[in-house]
Amino acid sequence: MRDFFRHMNRLFLREVRMIAADHSLLLTLLIAPLLYAFFYGSIYSYKVEEKVLLAVADDDKSELSRTFLQQLTKMQIVEVTGAAGLQDAQDKMYYGQCQGYLYIPHGVQKKVPALQQADIVLAVNAARFLPSSELAGGITTLALTVGAGVRLKYNEMQGLNSQMAMRETQPVNLDYRPMYNSRSSYGAFLLPGLLALILQQTLLIGLSESMALDKERGKVPELLKTGGGGLSATLWGKGLFYMLLFCCYAFFFMTVNYTTLDIPFRGRVLDVAVVFFLFFLTLIPLGMWLGTMFRSQLMAAQMMVFSTYPVFLIAGYAWPYESLPVPLQWLSSMVPTMPFLKVYQSIVQMGATLGDNMPSVLHLVALSGFYTLLALLGLRRLNKRQQSISL
Amino acid sequence: MMRSIFHIMTREWKRILTLPEHYIVLLVLPPLVCLLYGYIYNNQFARDLPVAIWDESRSPLSRQFTFMLEQTESIHITQQVDNEITLQKMMEQGIVQGAIHFPAKMDEHIKSRQPVYITVYTNTAAVVTAKLIYKDAAKVLITVGSGVTLQKFVKTGMPAGKAMALVQPIRLTSYMLYNPQYNYQQYLVPGLIAVALQMMIIMVTVLALNLEEKRGTFAELHAMAGGSASNVLLGKGLAHLSVGWLHYILATCIVFPLFAHGRIGGSWPLFLLFTLLIIGCICIGMMVSAIVSDVMVACDLGLFYTSPAFVFSGFTFPRWAMPWYDQYYAWLMPFTPFLDGFFKVYFMELPMHYAYKETGQLLIYIAVTFPVALFFLQRKMNKYSLQHA
Repeated sequence: MRDFFRHMNRLFLREVRMIAADHSLLLTLLIAPLLYAFFYGSIYSYKVEEKVLLAVADDDKSELSRTFLQQLTKMQIVEVTGAAGLQDAQDKMYYGQCQGYLYIPHGVQKKVPALQQADIVLAVNAARFLPSSELAGGITTLALTVGAGVRLKYNEMQGLNSQMAMRETQPVNLDYRPMYNSRSSYGAFLLPGLLALILQQTLLIGLSESMALDKERGKVPELLKTGGGGLSATLWGKGLFYMLLFCCYAFFFMTVNYTTLDIPFRGRVLDVAVVFFLFFLTLIPLGMWLGTMFRSQLMAAQMMVFSTYPVFLIAGYAWPYESLPVPLQWLSSMVPTMPFLKVYQSIVQMGATLGDNMPSVLHLVALSGFYTLLALLGLRRLNKRQQSISL
Repeated sequence: MMRSIFHIMTREWKRILTLPEHYIVLLVLPPLVCLLYGYIYNNQFARDLPVAIWDESRSPLSRQFTFMLEQTESIHITQQVDNEITLQKMMEQGIVQGAIHFPAKMDEHIKSRQPVYITVYTNTAAVVTAKLIYKDAAKVLITVGSGVTLQKFVKTGMPAGKAMALVQPIRLTSYMLYNPQYNYQQYLVPGLIAVALQMMIIMVTVLALNLEEKRGTFAELHAMAGGSASNVLLGKGLAHLSVGWLHYILATCIVFPLFAHGRIGGSWPLFLLFTLLIIGCICIGMMVSAIVSDVMVACDLGLFYTSPAFVFSGFTFPRWAMPWYDQYYAWLMPFTPFLDGFFKVYFMELPMHYAYKETGQLLIYIAVTFPVALFFLQRKMNKYSLQHA
């Protein structure tokens, strides 16, 4: 047992020396996680988008259209910009000066008191998803509110008292309760996952680069020798540095970044700590195994860069897991990001416990075992190959 | 000079076809990544999301509302709950993504002129699914509410036309232009592919010059160029530009038509804009490669520079909603103006003159980085000539 710890200690120190001597590893493991976390995090620091530019062409120029526009300018989501006419409003959208336009044709004011439907037209650039949907939603709500106001006035004119008139105006109402992210903000949704992804990718890139560097220099037999010849000791001895470093990062992110970015934390600290530990326990053998597959450090860096977006997109976070094609659901299940994000999001954002997410926790444990096996096989294969070359 | 450029271009193509650091990134990865991105969103919409019903009314009306909700694209009623705590637990366990609550005595309240509140719960920790559920539930419940109001007016003897005008005095006709169904595949795939292709070009061109030094082939390149840095940059640049055009063909002739309802071959404005993006990326990559001799450091710089391009460009989260310093940072990457122009010439199918600003901005990247690359490479080549004189 004492020997085991001695070997682990040697491997840990060897890894420290290796990283200290390599600019790329230093940059990836010590600077990138912190830089990325603040850098990417700051994008979503306002959490929601506001002031989406909307051109308005008002041909009615009536009291009603002015009231409508006044209400429009009061909305957080909209920033109104004037347009001389429909063509001008369209051109503004084509040049990218606004995300859509509202057209109020002549005669709106006259139609409403005469109990005739008045038409107004909204056109939004749905090629941009988020602003257009927010804009359309906001203006639809406003049109419904104005409609309710007209009905209220009509009911009052029919002799109903204000309380009765109000009741008659809107007999069926919608009460919307967005849970766990009350402002339905994109930032509050994305930031926790983004921080976890930064940890995952920097760990995987750094560790696979380090392993590929050992392979490139033909130092795998030396690595195993430092680990006392044992494959497991070598795997976890080399991985120990990453485990400690990334546990520190996780602690830092969950405290400093969560505070500065104002991300709510609803779960229990111990549950999150356990799930992060399990996550790293899966990522370390995965990173080692990937590293054994690349022929050089450069190739490892190049290839791993292109894994970031696909891994995130199939993780079931930004796009529902159930909506992925079945073969991609299988692939997603083989990547630790999927079960981890499921548990992590549930704990952090919804206040759930590990017990509530037992299937995903067990999934993560199974993946850890699987990748440990692959990493051990990869190490053994490399050791044999490099030993035979040296002979 | 022309002959030298041509030889360097041919030599660079040979390097692209033989060096794994080049051919894997430029020739193997693009089809894989493009097809993967297209396939991820193959279902186009998030359909049949699990939703619970909390029906305290247990009335014909609530059953009718439930039926209408089930008919929508995103809502699939999978659970029945009878209290909010159970509902929350189900959301925490990921069993449901939302819920609809019908209050007790809903039918009687509607008939007795008491306003009724139907509650829509969504798990907004997952904002994409929450918004889809809310959108469909709101559409149904607003329609239902309008129907109830309409019936009330008609019952008083009001003509249907006037009753309708009171239900909806201002009829808002909304046009969702360029992607009316909010099709995720049509929207996300072209942008994701464009960002991946620019990353690939930069990740390889950052190695275009320094890898020659590392592998000891710089002397050959120097001799072939006759000591002229511009010959090297133009020869290598043309080879990488032709790879970029292959990527364009892959994207616009196979992936966009297959997965994103794109027109086969794209359009001339798109081709022009894409070419400017690729030239911009090549110039930036060459500049890094001329300045930084260590290939790993150059690769890391390429990585740190390109990987944030997608999120900073404003594709998913608009730039104007970012803090001012992030908005400035976004302009350091050619993908940002490209994306603005891409929206116009690809999604909106507008003529090129609508993208004049973005074209000019892309030219600035080339005008700034090419001379810098030229200066540093010429200095390096002059030094090499002196050492070997």
